[in-house]
Amino acid sequence: MERKELEAQIIKMVAQCYNADEAKLSVDSVFGEDISGTSVMMVGLVSEIENELDAMIQLSDAAACKTIGDLVDKVEEEL
Amino acid sequence: MSVLDKIYEKAKANPQKVAFPEAENEKMMQAAYETGKEGYIKPILVGDSTRIKELIAERGYEESVFEIIDIAEESYKNDVVARYVALPHTMLKEKAIGRRMENPLYYAMAMQAVGDADVTFAGIDNTTGDVLLAGQMIIGLKEGISTVSSIGLCDIPGFEGSEGQLLAVGDSAVCTNPTPEQLADIAISACDTVKGLLDWEPRCAMVCYSTLGSGQGELIDKVKEALAIANEKRPDLDIDGEFQLDAAIVPAVAAKKVNRESKVAGKANVLIWPDLNVGNTAVKLIQQFGHADAYGPMLQGFNSIVCDCSRGAPVSEIKGNVVISAVRAMGQK
Repeated sequence: MERKELEAQIIKMVAQCYNADEAKLSVDSVFGEDISGTSVMMVGLVSEIENELDAMIQLSDAAACKTIGDLVDKVEEEL
Repeated sequence: MSVLDKIYEKAKANPQKVAFPEAENEKMMQAAYETGKEGYIKPILVGDSTRIKELIAERGYEESVFEIIDIAEESYKNDVVARYVALPHTMLKEKAIGRRMENPLYYAMAMQAVGDADVTFAGIDNTTGDVLLAGQMIIGLKEGISTVSSIGLCDIPGFEGSEGQLLAVGDSAVCTNPTPEQLADIAISACDTVKGLLDWEPRCAMVCYSTLGSGQGELIDKVKEALAIANEKRPDLDIDGEFQLDAAIVPAVAAKKVNRESKVAGKANVLIWPDLNVGNTAVKLIQQFGHADAYGPMLQGFNSIVCDCSRGAPVSEIKGNVVISAVRAMGQK
């Protein structure tokens, strides 16, 4: 999968899991600042990535990602 | 009869199915065996059945006390997967849950999610984080609840509260700095927990350093906001505040400081701390200076009972927590 396509998919998933406006998100969006939510939302996001992209990311690794771009890097490594 | 005796009696009257995904662990197997043999629970050991059976024989236990689930056996696993994905609101799809179930912790929780177990009991080999993650992913949170949290049950010698020596307190272990929404959810979950475990009519006080406006500031504003949210979400529950600790549990202080009707002031049986700094310190004060026994932490907020025990816990403590979690599961049915 191309990087841009992966970024778009993950941005969409973040918007869905965090009830955020997809149009306002980018790879530079920062978790905890631009994207706020509870830990269960991160669990939902990790589950969604696992379901849709077949990439099993540890929650601790996902939680350590500062930006959506960092998360895309993690998923790319896993793929 | 002590509170634990009453809980043990309740458990024996209706033994629940408790899944043990850390079945090979010596302390865990002993706790599962003894609570099963004594009739408090129906223990299910989840893992490598060949190894589990070897260990049962080595340790001199009767195999018939246990139900043993082999995670490598495909037909039952496929059946659990099929029933899991058919449930509404599950987070994982077929392939993902199948892969996660290669880990006994996830396998046990999937069994619980489909109703083949009532409780999953872990935490001796897995970290608290592992248990919380698996619980949130597989069991899920109760509708309307935004956070996992915990309560402890304190048995305080000499304390003359509305439930005698007993007082439930939370959260002293899980949710570090709750938002007002999360604090409201902790209070709501705590009320449901004590109702299920102890048949109490919960009277829950939101505690901080102010009683009804006697102090001001953002720390108090958070508690007030949480109280408003909790009352709006669950008007059926008696949750009140904001109270200082003495106004919450001492009738004479409440009479002086709380100049309005309150079903909770002076007779609270559940205290909700504003954050984990307070909660953790407070529970240690109760233990150190009040010489109290503190049972728990009991995890709450999940759709059904998930239990995490301390990795250093002795068998006696594990047994107590297994039985408590079984009775909580009974209370949720």
